[in-house]
Amino acid sequence: MDVSNHTILSRKKEKAAKALLWTAVLLTLAILLGIILYIMVRGFVSRQEKSYFVSPFLEETLKSEETGEYAMKIIVHRQVKISDLTMEDLRTIYTKSRAENWGHYSMQDKRITALAPSRNTPLGKAAETLIAGPEGGFGSYVAYLEDDEEMIRRIAEDPAGIGIIEADTPVTNRKVKVVPVRRIVVAVHPSVKEIIDNRQLSVITEKELKLVLSGDITDWKDLGGHDRPIRLIRPPEAWGLDELVSPSDIPAADSPEDFFRMITDLPDSLGLCFYDDAAAGGLSILEVSRREVKGNLTLSFLLEPPARSGKWGGISTIILNTLFLILFTLLFAAPAGVLAAIYLVEYAKQGPLVSLLRRGTETLAGVPSIIFGLFGNIFFVNTLGLGIGFISSTLTVTMMILPTIIRTSEEALKAVPLSYREGSLALGASKLQTTFKVVLPAAVPGILTGLILALGRVVGETAVLLYTLGSNYELVRGPSSSARVLSLHLYFLFSEAISFDRAFATGAILVFIILLVNYSTTRLIGRAGRMSG
Amino acid sequence: MEEQPSKFRIKDLDLFYGDNQALKDVTLEVRSHRVTALIGPSGCGKSTFIRTLNRMNDLIDHVRITGDVLYEGVNIYADYDVIELRKRIGMVFQKPNPFPMSIYENIAYGPKIHGITSKSLLDDLVENSLKAAALWEEVSDRLHKPALGLSGGQQQRLCIARVLAVEPDVVLMDEPTSALDPISTSRIEELIFELKKKYTIIIVTHNMQQAGRVSDTTAFFLNGVVVEYGDTEKIFFNPEDSRTEAYISGRFG
Ligand SMILES: Nc1ncnc2c1ncn2[C@@H]1O[C@H](COP(=O)(O)OP(=O)(O)OP(=O)(O)O)[C@@H](O)[C@H]1O
Ligand SMILES: [Mg+2]
Repeated sequence: MDVSNHTILSRKKEKAAKALLWTAVLLTLAILLGIILYIMVRGFVSRQEKSYFVSPFLEETLKSEETGEYAMKIIVHRQVKISDLTMEDLRTIYTKSRAENWGHYSMQDKRITALAPSRNTPLGKAAETLIAGPEGGFGSYVAYLEDDEEMIRRIAEDPAGIGIIEADTPVTNRKVKVVPVRRIVVAVHPSVKEIIDNRQLSVITEKELKLVLSGDITDWKDLGGHDRPIRLIRPPEAWGLDELVSPSDIPAADSPEDFFRMITDLPDSLGLCFYDDAAAGGLSILEVSRREVKGNLTLSFLLEPPARSGKWGGISTIILNTLFLILFTLLFAAPAGVLAAIYLVEYAKQGPLVSLLRRGTETLAGVPSIIFGLFGNIFFVNTLGLGIGFISSTLTVTMMILPTIIRTSEEALKAVPLSYREGSLALGASKLQTTFKVVLPAAVPGILTGLILALGRVVGETAVLLYTLGSNYELVRGPSSSARVLSLHLYFLFSEAISFDRAFATGAILVFIILLVNYSTTRLIGRAGRMSG
Repeated sequence: MEEQPSKFRIKDLDLFYGDNQALKDVTLEVRSHRVTALIGPSGCGKSTFIRTLNRMNDLIDHVRITGDVLYEGVNIYADYDVIELRKRIGMVFQKPNPFPMSIYENIAYGPKIHGITSKSLLDDLVENSLKAAALWEEVSDRLHKPALGLSGGQQQRLCIARVLAVEPDVVLMDEPTSALDPISTSRIEELIFELKKKYTIIIVTHNMQQAGRVSDTTAFFLNGVVVEYGDTEKIFFNPEDSRTEAYISGRFG
């Protein structure tokens, strides 16, 4: 069959158009999915590269030359969200004069209950020497207990408890866990940290350290340092660190003194020793970084109230504040907006006044929210003297979303066929009955969509709330109490650089709330719409 | 037939949409318990006329009416409450317009707004109206399903049932079958035949056969004027006016 040139051309055009469309669709999808996925991933897991003085090697059993045969381990209540502690942390916890807060270590806002074995026991003496160091003693808030059994029992009862028991004592209580301690440092000869070409080697990664200790990296250049071989030194047997260092053909220290001497005398040397000894010997230390992957958006993040501006704790009160704000603004704005729309569509004489009103609401619906913030701050907060707080912000946000609600409700009402109104009026129904029994129910899906749109604006609003709601992160207690909602909290976490992880976790929750709201309205609209076929 | 009392008496009715006159000097008498058909070409004012009878034109801005419309001797534009009037004079529209509610709610709507709250009374009314509209058999098992799920013909009968539930005296029908298929149309025509025993019916139609089949009296409208009015048989077979004859025989309209 003959196909005319024109047909071929239009086929080609069709194909090209299709290809273009598909590219556009795929691009949009990719961007959308990319953004959501990124927020979700960052919201749910925190991945950080953190460098420490101490290396990532964990020790459950702690002992030293001074403590002799008394080895010990550290236990905490299971709810304390730490996987290990550095020797430095441990020292701070036990030597502070006032109770330290877990927030610094696990971001849980609770005062630490530090327990130690009685100073009369050999274990108690050994623990104090080991943990507080040769000079200092334990802080005055540390409580002392007689034996390990009591220690375990007390810690099981106290969700903020930390204690010290003998290394051999088994821990069978499921509420108590043993926390490994990191106290091994990488000591190097000072020459290693010399600045060359404006660069200084001061941090290596966990992976690099392992390769050095296994003998796979042998030159400082591979770690970003000088082009000289690494002189690995075997720590003295007494420290029990030999198995961490694999190569056998390396210089070995006979005693701790020997080790310190070798590290300080031999250029390009590297060896493992304990934090205390390194500090006492004034050794140069290479920091080690490790990648820490943790759950970010956890259940406790949702359930705990925030502390220290949101640095610690969770966002429970903030979620509740957000729900309150939504609830109250809708309580004010929904009836007012829908009634106004009913008046405009059903009752008002369609003249220049109404069209002016309509133009006005349209303009207001598009006005940037910061202008409403300005208005709310000047009018509600200052002129009316309501002050920064829940009521001012609720009223301002109501003003902000009212135009949107009026506009969408108007459209929904206008979309109701005239024939419904005629049918009802012809049956002898009054205008009021017709409006509320026939027209309004038929417009419900559209009105709901508008309310959801408005709700989305409330959830995402920051500018208005900044000037009317304040920044208190506690639960709202009354109309004039200052508060924080999710978007505002996110703003503060971000702008005050409190925590990006927490900002993302909060963001993920915001996205979830929007998803949930959208989903439930779709269901609601579906149910309302089912009667209309 | 001549002895039937008149239901409506329309005298010198003029209707203006703004400056545009849609009805001119209409003078008619509508007999009780008869079917009166209004025929005429598109735009001649049939709908406008039928809507003056239950004051539906009140809804439109800029409408001006002069002349008298007497319903049972009372001037509906002067001495009648519009809600009361519409209760007595029901209307079925060209396009079926059931409300987006269940079948039951559609029928119960009218009685409810007129103050009937008793469940059993409403149940009875719904059943009787649906039976009177010959729809009961088809929908008795799905009364609480959405009315918009019915077919077009069923929807139109539902609209008739909805009107009957208010217990009217007159039923106005503006091209009730123009949106329906032939089978639904004939069912509605049969229904009109039945309803005539209890109600006075005024029906607008474009379908000459339909007018011939269902009506007793016919009024022929042209450009807002009633050209000829009388027994259907006479209008169809022995028209006085040449324009009526031309229209009936299909030369214009
Ligand atoms: N709401 C209105 N405003 C202004 N003019 C109108 C309005 N409704 C009808 N008209 C005019 O009045 C005249 C009569 O209209 P009407 O609807 O009564 O005609 P009809 O006989 O019912 O026509 P059809 O058979 O097409 O339904 C027409 O010229 C129409 O344009
Ligand atoms: Mg018409």
